[in-house]
Order: sequence, then structure tokens, then C-alpha cells
Amino acid sequence: MNDFVIEAKQLTKIYGKQKAVNCVNLHVRKGRVYGLLGRNGAGKTTIMKLILGLTSVTSGEVAVFGQNIRGREKRVFPRIGAIIETPGFYPNLTGTENLEIFAKLRGTAAPGAVKNALEIVGLPCKDKKLFGKYSLGMKQRLGIANAILHDPELLILDEPTNGLDPIGIAEVRDFIKRLSSEQGKTILISSHILSEIALLADDIGIIDCGVLLEESSMNELKKRNSKYILLQVSDVPKTSLILEREFHTKDYSVQDEHTLRIYDTSLNMGEINKFLVMQNITVTSSGLCNDTLEDYFKKITGGEGIA
Amino acid sequence: MDINIYLLAGLILAVLIILHLTLRLIHVRQQLSFIKEALEDLKNGNLNRRVLAGENDLTKQICYDINDIAISNQLRLIQQRQAEQAYKRLMTSLSHDVKTPLASLVGYLEAIENGLVTGTERDEYIHVAADKANRLKDFVTALFEWVKLDAGEQIFHFEIFDINELSRNIIAEWIPLLESAGLHYEIEIPEQECAVRIDPNAYTRIINNLLQNIIIHSEADHMTLCIAEDAQRAKITVSDNGKGISPDDLPHIFERMYQCDHSRFAKGSGLGLSIARELVSAHKGKITAASTPGTETSFTVLLPKAL
Repeated sequence: MNDFVIEAKQLTKIYGKQKAVNCVNLHVRKGRVYGLLGRNGAGKTTIMKLILGLTSVTSGEVAVFGQNIRGREKRVFPRIGAIIETPGFYPNLTGTENLEIFAKLRGTAAPGAVKNALEIVGLPCKDKKLFGKYSLGMKQRLGIANAILHDPELLILDEPTNGLDPIGIAEVRDFIKRLSSEQGKTILISSHILSEIALLADDIGIIDCGVLLEESSMNELKKRNSKYILLQVSDVPKTSLILEREFHTKDYSVQDEHTLRIYDTSLNMGEINKFLVMQNITVTSSGLCNDTLEDYFKKITGGEGIA
Repeated sequence: MDINIYLLAGLILAVLIILHLTLRLIHVRQQLSFIKEALEDLKNGNLNRRVLAGENDLTKQICYDINDIAISNQLRLIQQRQAEQAYKRLMTSLSHDVKTPLASLVGYLEAIENGLVTGTERDEYIHVAADKANRLKDFVTALFEWVKLDAGEQIFHFEIFDINELSRNIIAEWIPLLESAGLHYEIEIPEQECAVRIDPNAYTRIINNLLQNIIIHSEADHMTLCIAEDAQRAKITVSDNGKGISPDDLPHIFERMYQCDHSRFAKGSGLGLSIARELVSAHKGKITAASTPGTETSFTVLLPKAL
């Protein structure tokens, strides 16, 4: 059994003449938070709709829980919680009443599901306020409550922090993190804000103009993007002595018998190399790693960056 | 004639009842097939699978119970996995924390041994090497203390003490150190007695770690120690005006091995606050931190009073 909860192969969607999604191969692993990062109109929402079967696939295929969703909606949908764009609620009912309707339609996994879901997103239960009178942030919260109402295995959240204030964003981020770390849920989340995804996701997919440019784990990206000088030398103790005595830095760490990382990037790498060689220390390699994530995204999306 | 009408009515009623029961049976059968599928999935280890039940379903209680079992198993599994990961992280960072100072220590000693340095420089090298060796020793001591605490093997001797008196004694020993570190200090400890059930050694360690933290990390020039009490608790606040802790770092500072800069061993062991927290919680107390970088950073310890 493979570990992918969602797996898309060569997924393509054409609206008229426009390729909204172009040959996307997407892999969401079980128990991880997958961040889909892209600018407005990059195709994030379309991918989510294709996964859920809300719009027809032009070519390629997508499997959810290892199987095609078509024709199995009744068995698969109860295992998924989603918000795509604005959720449809009745404006003349309160938030609680709205959720009770959905609870009745879908069934629940435990008693008191409505109250629980409201509690998690921080909305009052049995409040008199009608949905029509809700602020954008409250609507968004109710949408999330609806998505988690039946305790699904997989959450698909399309820009869940839209319309929330900074504190609300932090709250939502927090409980998404908790859902993943404390309950092992699989979460697919989209956003156009780099910092948001960087704080939340375990895996990340960068999409631009319908093409998935890169898919990798956040750790991998961070590793590629931290700022340090990497030195490979024949004699680590000697090198560390030279760093401390001649270059007056203690801002380094020893990785293994031959590798050092110097975090003080203001040091002149050429000088260090010269000095080490003069002391009969062989420098096998030295390099500066100082791409920030932001630079990296700019590079990968062709210079414009994602903001 | 009349009898016929009654018979007909009875027949229609019977047919309706049969129809209703048949539909109900079909529904229950479908539910059972869902349950069977979910159980199969649970058996294969997907503990996030839930069985949904409607308000009036016959199988409601069974479904809820299955979910309950799955949730509690999942929780246990996740906790176990987290503990394993934390342990692995600890081992990795440990090996780095020992490797770096050890490498530079060897560097210094080799230089001395090979006669590369002479006279006063040689003495200085020996001094630095001894210093490094001592720091390593302190680190290993702190580490063992932490491991003992973490494993619950530390034995405490709780007795009723006047916390004000005890604190005065502790701080008296710190005054020369504070002065030589160029720190102005302000100490507010009330005259009257405040009885708290504590282990005096552990309490000393808590205060020592907090003060040490200020000297090593804060770059402050002013600090205060203030003790106050309310009906239930004694409140010990240690604050400084140093560089502070950024909001990103603040939630993590009590985690073992968490240090705000990468070159971890440059200063401190990364264990002090973690040990302080363990000790405080052994006293059924609480430790919190608040920081406005550059203005004020304060650590507050709350200990329950002996009644």
C-alpha cells in the first residue's frame, strides 16, 4: 500500500483555450500538511476542485485514498472535509443551525459534533447571530467548522485564512498544526502567502500558471536555504583553532570529521581558504549557502516572486 | 362489503409497513457495509478513519464507539511517535553540541603539544583549552541532570522554607558575579516570611539558571529580582532590559536544546531553561516568559504556598 492520500498523474484541465492546470503530478502523503503555493489565478483552486471531482478532468487522473473518486462519492466524501471558495450557508439561520443541518445530512462521528467544531474554530455555540450578519472572518471560521464537523481524515482547505485578521490567522494556523500533529490528519492547504505556508507545511508544491514547478519537503527546502559557509577540510580541530584564533569567531559548528558550518557569513571565505592552505590543511570544498526562501521562490517562479 | 374495505385497508397498511421495514433494512445493511469497510481500514492501521452515523440510525452507538476506540489508539500512537522523534532530535543535537567544542579543544591541545606556540601565548592556549574542557564538563553535568529529571529519577526533598530568606541567600552569592558582568541590579524581597514547600537545592537551581541566562544571553545592563505573594502563591519575577526574545522564539525557549542562535555551543548548554521548567513543575508551580525585545524580558515563577 502506498502512502499517498492524494495522487495526481498528468492532471490537466482546459477551460476553453486556456490550460488552467497543466500536467500536474501531485503527491500528498498521509499525515502531512501539504502547502500549495501560488499566485492568484495560478490554478490552486482548480486543482482542489479536480481532486474533489467538482469539475471534470480534461486528461490525466487523480486518486484519493488510492482510488478514483468518480462513482464512489458516497463512500469517499464522508472521509474528506473541504472548503473551496465561499461555503454555501443559509443566511437566515444562525451558525449553529447551519451546522446542525450539515450534521444531519452527513452524519457525525461522535455526539456533540457541532458544539465541538464551533469550539475548535472559536465561534460561540447557540449564538443568536444570523449567518447573513456574520463578518468575513466569522464566515470563514464557520466554513472551517463545517469542514471538520465529521472528523474527516483528509482536509482540503482553499485559502482558509482569507479575510481573517492577523490574530485569527495565527489561531487558524495553530489549530491546523494541531490537527496534523495531535490527530495525524492529512491536510492540503493552498495559499498565496509564502510566510504562511512556510510556517505550516511539511511538504510544499509551488504552482505557477497551472504548472507545478516544484514539489519537495519543507525540511529539504530549509536545508537548501539557510545561511552559512560550508567547509570541507582535512583537519577539523586545526581548522576550528584557526577560526577562533585568526578569524575570532565561535559562530560555527562541526558536522562530522571533515565538515564545518560557519554561520557568520560576513567572514571572507577567500581569506579563510588561503589561511587554511597555508597551514597545510587541505580544503576539499567550500561554499556559501545564502539563498533565502523568498529568493528561491523568486528564482523558481521566474523572477516575479510570490507575495 | 364493509369487511372488504377493512381488509383492503389492512392490506395496504401491511404493505406500507413491509415497505418501510424493507427500506430500513436496506439502510442498515448499507450502514453495516460502511462499518465493515471502515473496520477493514482501521485494521490496516488507518486510525483516522471514522464511521459516520445519522441522528436516528440504529447503528449510531456502535459507530460512535468504534470512533472512540480509533481516536484513543491514534492519540497513543502519536504521542509515542512524538516521544521517539524528540529523542532522536536530542541525540542529533547532542552529538553536535559535543563535537564542536571537542574539535576546538583538540585543536588547541595539538597546537600546544606540537610546540606551535610558546611563552605567554602557550599559557593563554592552555587557559582557553581548560576553559573549554570545563564548559564541556558543565554541559555534560547539565545533560545528566536533565536526563534524570526527564526520566523522573530525581529525588526531591520537600520541606517548608521561607522563600524570601532563601532567595536572599541565593542572591547574596550572585552579587559579585552580577557586578563583574557589569549588571546593575535591583532586588525587591519582602521582609515578612512567606512559607513555601520546596526542595531548597532545586529552588536554588531554578534561580541560578534564570540569572545565568541573563548573564549569558541577554546583553542587558540592568536586572531586577522581585518576590511577591498572593493568597495562594508566591511569585518570583526575574527581568532584564536586554535584547529580549523574539515572538517566534518565545514559545520554544523552555524546550530542551532550543537556542535562538545556531552556533549552539558558543554560549550556554541550551538546557538551563528546560531544567528550570522541569524543576518548577516538580513543585507543582508554573514558569512563564514574556518579552518586549530591547525593553523588558521577564521570567515569572509561580509556586504554591504552604497552607
